[in-house]
Amino acid sequence: MHILFIHDAFPAQFGRLGLELTERYGWRCSYLIQSLSACPTPTRAMLEKLEIHQVPLSQEHRQKGGIPWPQIYGLFLEQCRTVYDVLRTKPELKPDLVVAHGGRGAPTLFLSELFDCPIVIYCEYYFGLNRRDISYRIDLPPAEPAPFFPRSINAPTLATLVEADTGYSATHWQRASFPKRFQHKIEVHFDGIDTTEYQPGPAVRQFGGVSIPEGTRVVTYVARGLESVRGFDIFMKAADRIGRARSDVLFIVVGGEEIHYGWDALHTGRPSFKQWVLEQDKYDLSRFLFLGTILPEQLAQILRLTDLHIYPSVPFVLSWSLLDAMCSGAVVIGSDVPPVREVIEPGVNGLVTPFFDVDQLADTALRVLGDPAAFAPLGRAARRTIEERYSLDVAIPALKDYFERIAAQPARKGVTAPNHPASRRSG
Amino acid sequence: MPPPPLNLLWVEPHFPGRLGAVADWFVRRRGYRCWFYCHTADPPEFWPPSMAKGLNVSVFNVGGVAREPSAPWHRLLERSLCYSYGCWEVLEVNRPKPIDLIIGRSTGLGSSLFAPVYRPGAPVVNFFDYYNQPREFDLADEAGPHTPAAYFHWRRSASAIELLDLENCDLPWTPTTWQRDLFPAEYRADFEVLHDGVDTRLFAPRPRSGPRMIQGRPIPEGARVVTFVAQTLERLRGFDRFWSLANTLLRARSDVLCVVVGESVVRRGLDIDFHQKDYPALLRAQDPIYDTDRFWMLGNKPRMAVAEVLAASDLHIAPSRVYPVARSVLEAMSCGSVVLASDSAPCREVITHEVNGLLLDPNDAGAWSLQALRVLDEPEAFRPLGDAAADLIRERYDQDVTLPRLAELFDRLVEREYRVSRRERETVE
Repeated sequence: MHILFIHDAFPAQFGRLGLELTERYGWRCSYLIQSLSACPTPTRAMLEKLEIHQVPLSQEHRQKGGIPWPQIYGLFLEQCRTVYDVLRTKPELKPDLVVAHGGRGAPTLFLSELFDCPIVIYCEYYFGLNRRDISYRIDLPPAEPAPFFPRSINAPTLATLVEADTGYSATHWQRASFPKRFQHKIEVHFDGIDTTEYQPGPAVRQFGGVSIPEGTRVVTYVARGLESVRGFDIFMKAADRIGRARSDVLFIVVGGEEIHYGWDALHTGRPSFKQWVLEQDKYDLSRFLFLGTILPEQLAQILRLTDLHIYPSVPFVLSWSLLDAMCSGAVVIGSDVPPVREVIEPGVNGLVTPFFDVDQLADTALRVLGDPAAFAPLGRAARRTIEERYSLDVAIPALKDYFERIAAQPARKGVTAPNHPASRRSG
Repeated sequence: MPPPPLNLLWVEPHFPGRLGAVADWFVRRRGYRCWFYCHTADPPEFWPPSMAKGLNVSVFNVGGVAREPSAPWHRLLERSLCYSYGCWEVLEVNRPKPIDLIIGRSTGLGSSLFAPVYRPGAPVVNFFDYYNQPREFDLADEAGPHTPAAYFHWRRSASAIELLDLENCDLPWTPTTWQRDLFPAEYRADFEVLHDGVDTRLFAPRPRSGPRMIQGRPIPEGARVVTFVAQTLERLRGFDRFWSLANTLLRARSDVLCVVVGESVVRRGLDIDFHQKDYPALLRAQDPIYDTDRFWMLGNKPRMAVAEVLAASDLHIAPSRVYPVARSVLEAMSCGSVVLASDSAPCREVITHEVNGLLLDPNDAGAWSLQALRVLDEPEAFRPLGDAAADLIRERYDQDVTLPRLAELFDRLVEREYRVSRRERETVE
């Protein structure tokens, strides 16, 4: 079996998946990417065992200041054309299956002109008009594109989905974000947590040049970017309350200052949401350790050390970091929103509080920090949840079966024309 | 008790476009109040009767790439979003109210997409014309090895605005089943298939006797009038086929008069070879008209003038490529003209061969000439086809048959008040 994975970045969602498919089943996995990622970084095994082909960077990736929202579909089409042009010059890349991801639509729109194999789309997310994702933060100053963006941003996703043979989402909630009419062609397959890398156990107590004394309670917050969608401001407010109530707490914050989702720059008029948040209140920054972006092995150490992991997120794509923390046996407080509820059963394998309720978040955190032993069973149950439902050993065989099943089916070659009763190509 | 008159917001890039006649019917027949928002408008002689008598037109401007004469294929959605934004901007300034329902038609320009930002909660009905198939129908059937890959890329990606409109509207509406079936299977069940109807009082058969006139010009007694009507005289509507047939008929019979209505410059982007070109001029250069005195090209004409032409027609020619059946075909049928059309799925939905019209393989020019000459030889023998066509239009396609059904749908949508729109109901709780 030869799978061609297409993704802006490597390894991202597909690197580990391809490595597992290669090592476990001897599959050939090729990649068409734009850049190597730092979040997470590729391992030596990935670079040695997987075929990586780079395409020219799209304008979106070359441009620092962001792309005006009306131009996003045009850039998506340029990327589709680039992928088409590159693959046309690589006849050796003739896959049995194409698996593609794109935050704003996978660039596969023209591939049925080249390949007769099925095309699978990683259906990460479909933006909603309101009450979720980047429209959820009604407490922040309004951003000009707010009413227009969700009405137009899904165009690449829709165009890709119509043409694709099938798709899969990592969680049921992500699948349910798509219009009901398309859900029949989207399956749910999580891509797998490495339960060896993330596991409970003794941890180093030194990070960023700071030694953490025994007896210090560690509270962690992890996000790709410190931004409003991931409730960084909510975390800081709760941390401030927790810190005032207990003098033995250290807050470790992991994540870059880039804004990946939403309109924080428009909300705040600042390029860094983190800086804006820190200017809003008088925080005792001596109680915080901001580590920026770190390597996965460092993250594993931090999550092993933590006494409490706080995950305030609006209803949006679930972060790997939440599952990594649970896999590490951490006690987790997440926001009481559907994607988090899909993983956390409150009082069983974690805790939830309403996203905007800083006081309840702080009170709950203080209860956990006040009696760690009482809450330790939640961390153990969290670990079991990951082992049973989200581990690589569970996810990879299921994905393998899925890919094999789809590859055995004839490609649909674009759904519209062959289905037309008057089409010459209809059956 | 009849429901109270509604207040309707219509959005279409051009007025009266396709929806203008429908809005006009709602004003005249139902007393509804209609605001029509467009980017461009025809001159007043093209306006429907209810203009300024319940139907008010506002023009919106556009910015960005939409201001440029043409946009690269990959920026067409961006252009559409500029139209949509321009419409929203003027709605915000004019603030028409109340609005019970929004009806939009994008024709690839997506102008109704952001209207709900101005009037949230109002149900949205969108009229859909066409969904591009990458390698099939219209002119794609004639693409060859010389056709650039970008042409197919464009075709595969050009319907993005239709997808957004489908997702953002409460009721998709299209005139024919064939058009509905062009859309992705996931959307078809949602569609209301309902023709927007023919004004049968305007497009009515002429009296059996008496002189015929077109644009004030008398038609000689005994002349055989052959007509071709299209928005644009282009390949898509088979104007090249008509041109060739017309020359054959003009040569074969000295009593044939060909009358052509339509704009000469090709506007639709589907024809990449002749886009923005004067297509009749190109045909003329290749194959001059045999007798120009008997070949009347009237240009683009208001509905009244089109009705006069079609009422005078003995044979209406519609040799279209595979594309939605032209409104002029139904109007010709309504006038009782014998229609000779392409034997294609969209035409078959309306015309039954030798029952209410004639259908032939559009690529068999010889068969078209023979069939046309037969009709012109014996108009009386073929008159029953025209009569049956007129009956069909009155029974199934008359505005007064189709639009009351549309009115019922509108009333029902508003009655339900769709406070939580469909997409919001689909939002994950």
